[in-house]
Amino acid sequence: MAETTTSGEATNGRSSTLPEEFLEQWRDVAYNCFSSGHKFCREVCPVTQVTRDERFTPTAFHANVIAMEKGHLSIEDVAEDYVNCTMCGACELRCPNTLFTGDFYRFRQRTIDVVKAMRAFAVEQGIHQKNWQRWAELTDRWGNEPVLGWTRETSGSKVRAWAAGLDIPTGGETVLFADCEAAFKRPSVPRSVALLLRACGVEFGLMDQQWCCGGPMWETGYVDIAHKMAEHNMIDWRKTHTKRIICPDPHDYITIIEHYPPLDENFDEFEIVLAVDLIAEAIREGRLELGTPVQRTVTYHDPCRLNKRLGVWQSPREILRAIPGLTFIDVDHVTQWSYCSGAGSNLWVEKPELTAEISRRRIAKAQELPGVDGLVSACPWSERPLTEQGEAVGMDVFDIFEITAEAAGFEV
Amino acid sequence: MLVFRLSAQRPPKPERVTDVVVTRLEHVLEVDPDLMRKHVAQQDIPNWDMHRIVSARWEHIRDIHEQWADSIVLAGEGSELGAGPPEPMGET
Amino acid sequence: MPGVIAAGVLDELVAICGEDHVFTGRSALFNRARVPAPFPVHRWEEHIPQAVVMPTSAEQVSEVVKLANRDGIPVVPRAGGTGLADGAVPLRGGILVDVKLMDQIHEIDLEDLTVTVGAGINMQTLNRALAPHGVIYPDDPASYPCSLVGGRIGTNGWSLLGGRYGHVRDLVLSFEIVLPTGEIVRVGEGGGRKCRKSSVGYQLKPLFIGHQGTLGIVTEATLELVPRAECEFAGFFLYDGFEPAYQTMRKVARSGLSTLTGVMFFDPEKVAYLRRDDEAYIEVPDWVKAVCGISLYGSRCEVEPAVGEVMRMGRELGGRYIGDEISSADWACRHDRYATPQHGRTRDGQVVLMSWHCEDAALPISQMPAVREKWHQIARRYVERYGIFDDWGMFAYTNAGFKPWGDVLMEIDLGLWEPRMDEDNWQAFVSLKREIAQTVLEHGGTMSAAHGGTRAGDAELVPTEMGSAWDLMKRVKRMLDPNNIMNPGKQMLDEAYEED
Repeated sequence: MAETTTSGEATNGRSSTLPEEFLEQWRDVAYNCFSSGHKFCREVCPVTQVTRDERFTPTAFHANVIAMEKGHLSIEDVAEDYVNCTMCGACELRCPNTLFTGDFYRFRQRTIDVVKAMRAFAVEQGIHQKNWQRWAELTDRWGNEPVLGWTRETSGSKVRAWAAGLDIPTGGETVLFADCEAAFKRPSVPRSVALLLRACGVEFGLMDQQWCCGGPMWETGYVDIAHKMAEHNMIDWRKTHTKRIICPDPHDYITIIEHYPPLDENFDEFEIVLAVDLIAEAIREGRLELGTPVQRTVTYHDPCRLNKRLGVWQSPREILRAIPGLTFIDVDHVTQWSYCSGAGSNLWVEKPELTAEISRRRIAKAQELPGVDGLVSACPWSERPLTEQGEAVGMDVFDIFEITAEAAGFEV
Repeated sequence: MLVFRLSAQRPPKPERVTDVVVTRLEHVLEVDPDLMRKHVAQQDIPNWDMHRIVSARWEHIRDIHEQWADSIVLAGEGSELGAGPPEPMGET
Repeated sequence: MPGVIAAGVLDELVAICGEDHVFTGRSALFNRARVPAPFPVHRWEEHIPQAVVMPTSAEQVSEVVKLANRDGIPVVPRAGGTGLADGAVPLRGGILVDVKLMDQIHEIDLEDLTVTVGAGINMQTLNRALAPHGVIYPDDPASYPCSLVGGRIGTNGWSLLGGRYGHVRDLVLSFEIVLPTGEIVRVGEGGGRKCRKSSVGYQLKPLFIGHQGTLGIVTEATLELVPRAECEFAGFFLYDGFEPAYQTMRKVARSGLSTLTGVMFFDPEKVAYLRRDDEAYIEVPDWVKAVCGISLYGSRCEVEPAVGEVMRMGRELGGRYIGDEISSADWACRHDRYATPQHGRTRDGQVVLMSWHCEDAALPISQMPAVREKWHQIARRYVERYGIFDDWGMFAYTNAGFKPWGDVLMEIDLGLWEPRMDEDNWQAFVSLKREIAQTVLEHGGTMSAAHGGTRAGDAELVPTEMGSAWDLMKRVKRMLDPNNIMNPGKQMLDEAYEED
């Protein structure tokens, strides 16, 4: 029950002031930032590193809520500012309100949720970002995101095409959730995961009609479409009594565990697992043998949703260290709080040049490491811009499952 | 391993530590929730997220040390607080 | 509220900086009005600039400043906007010159141990780039992860490691600054960009270090590099009263240990404040009333023997050691030990969100006990009267660069219930600040060791504090900034332009 201050009426002819429900939910989080304003979030923010613009800082994202409550700013003034965020989570983790006292008070910074809420509010007010709107419409129409462009349909009926020849059954107790980007754009990733899981002795099926997890819809403000995706997916799981969902892509994992439970009172039926943890465990327990040397010198990119948002950084390193022949030059995961590919929350769809620059800088950091000519990531979304920037300078970009499958003797 | 089960995310009941501090998760202290009833409401933070914050804090502290010096010298002694206050030393 | 900037001026700014780097949108203006709270949010509109430019070169800054001079438009330099004295808060609209895009590392010189950077770079970002070379730029304020080099120069910044490595004024070798009339000049030790000490020419560097943006805009700086220390040590000792902790602090501060980096002190009110929320890992028994912390940096051959001496001194007057784990962790947290808003409590103990006012006086160490008592009396009055304040205790730290024995940075931390901000509460805050600052002056101190005297509550007292030097300060200001365009209204310097 939040403390209410005097709510600003629409002043200066500004329209679309924040409704009271919005303020009730976000005022305290906004003031938790505004009452401090010390900006520890800034230097770790990949967008701020490139733009240096205070409008796009986590500080501004919270201050705007106060400014809008007081009638100084309207959604028209700020909607486009909120595009500039990859939702990497560095800010809300690094903020002392989380890092030092978030657990003590059971109250942490939630910049990502504030940005989601503001983007959704903009959409509700009819303010759309052109490409995001189109992206959402096509996702709604096709069931999966238009990751192959505006005209190549990515329907639920085509989403299993990557599995051709693998004879994976439909449904069952354990299901592999392959993610739109991976399934359509980088099929070597789910193929690698499937082969590795089999080699570990994990039995699994694929959904009958996998739809987008809904994550980017929640992230860009198209909440109704997100709900539709989520509900469809849960119905699909229940059709074959699925209990366990394996996620190779941390975007799906975090979307499912954060957004699905409020939509379904029986969500506790499901167990959600990260593929990277499963594979690391299998290697540790001797159930997966990596016998084929991979003679490369690589470094690892901590994907934001895995490292910053979930705190998962050990499993991928364990896997890489188990690959024979591989020279692995590590950069620790705390330094990587300030790293990002720039792909998150579909930033690249609306601001490709910003994502490109964030990725270019990430590749440049890898280049600084002695002898490194390969960058391994564990997130297909990051691999899209990283691969593009890497090509320009001779840095190969791998997904962790691709390189592990190679070490397991598979050709993908 | 980060296996997510919704029912495993709800924190246990709090146990009192001091008049203003409680504990639910092992080694994690929390403010008495009664102190957050009037003005600022607590959030619903799942157990995995609490653990993430606590771990991240220690990892951050290690990182800070590494930025400023190659190694940490310790006195090699644990806490003396259990010994209670010092003997009175006369007029101070 | 300042009016809209003239269209002609806007066109000229675009011609200088490029249209992508000139902003007049409301969110651009409102999000550059403020530095860390407390802030008079009810008067937000009074503090927005009229336009923002983000230049990428000293030449662009120079052209902008010349234009402003020509037309009498205020200029407000802004680096990080992380200061605690409102130095980068516009008072009269104008053109805000945001230097953050000038954040490149221009040169790392490992031979002569210097690094040359744009004013818009952050020290932690810089040090991460320097890490592979085994060197650091040892400017380490509590805002280390977020403040920028330009602001550090502007505020004559204070560093946690100052006792060992010096403060900003010891660490900045030379810099490029655009004067209020637009000339680009380089100031340093004589003419040597990388020299540390010269007796040629006037010592102009110190004039601009701590000018709070009133004498120009720094665009580039050449900084000191030091080899990263082989080791660090921190020990925290707990005492059953103010006096033994205070005497320990004095003793250690004058111990002559060459690796001594700082001695810090928490008073009983500070301990009480820490006890009520424990920052999730420090449990403090009731008998503990004060804390003394001691840090060492240097080579192992020096630090290890010194540790024994520190442990002896820490315990000599009854101190109990808090233990290795907490000592080293707590020391690491010093680097960003900001008071988070949830430390705020109402009088009935409920958690509320409070902004943090940190009064950062410097005083001769002998004055610590008396000033502390007066400060808490003042705070008590305001806490009882207004219901929006909270006393978070007193903290002290050895102040001078390389000389820990003489004076202390003495800080009282006060919480202010920021969501309750209105004019009455803001004036109460200003009044509280003023009383605290007044006390400092009465005891021969300076109101601010680190942040600056540019916030209301301190600013009015700058002439008093400067005393006989005030007139000289005004003359310098007027000479360098004849049209009073450079961060006007700060530190009472409008007085420089009043006719006698």
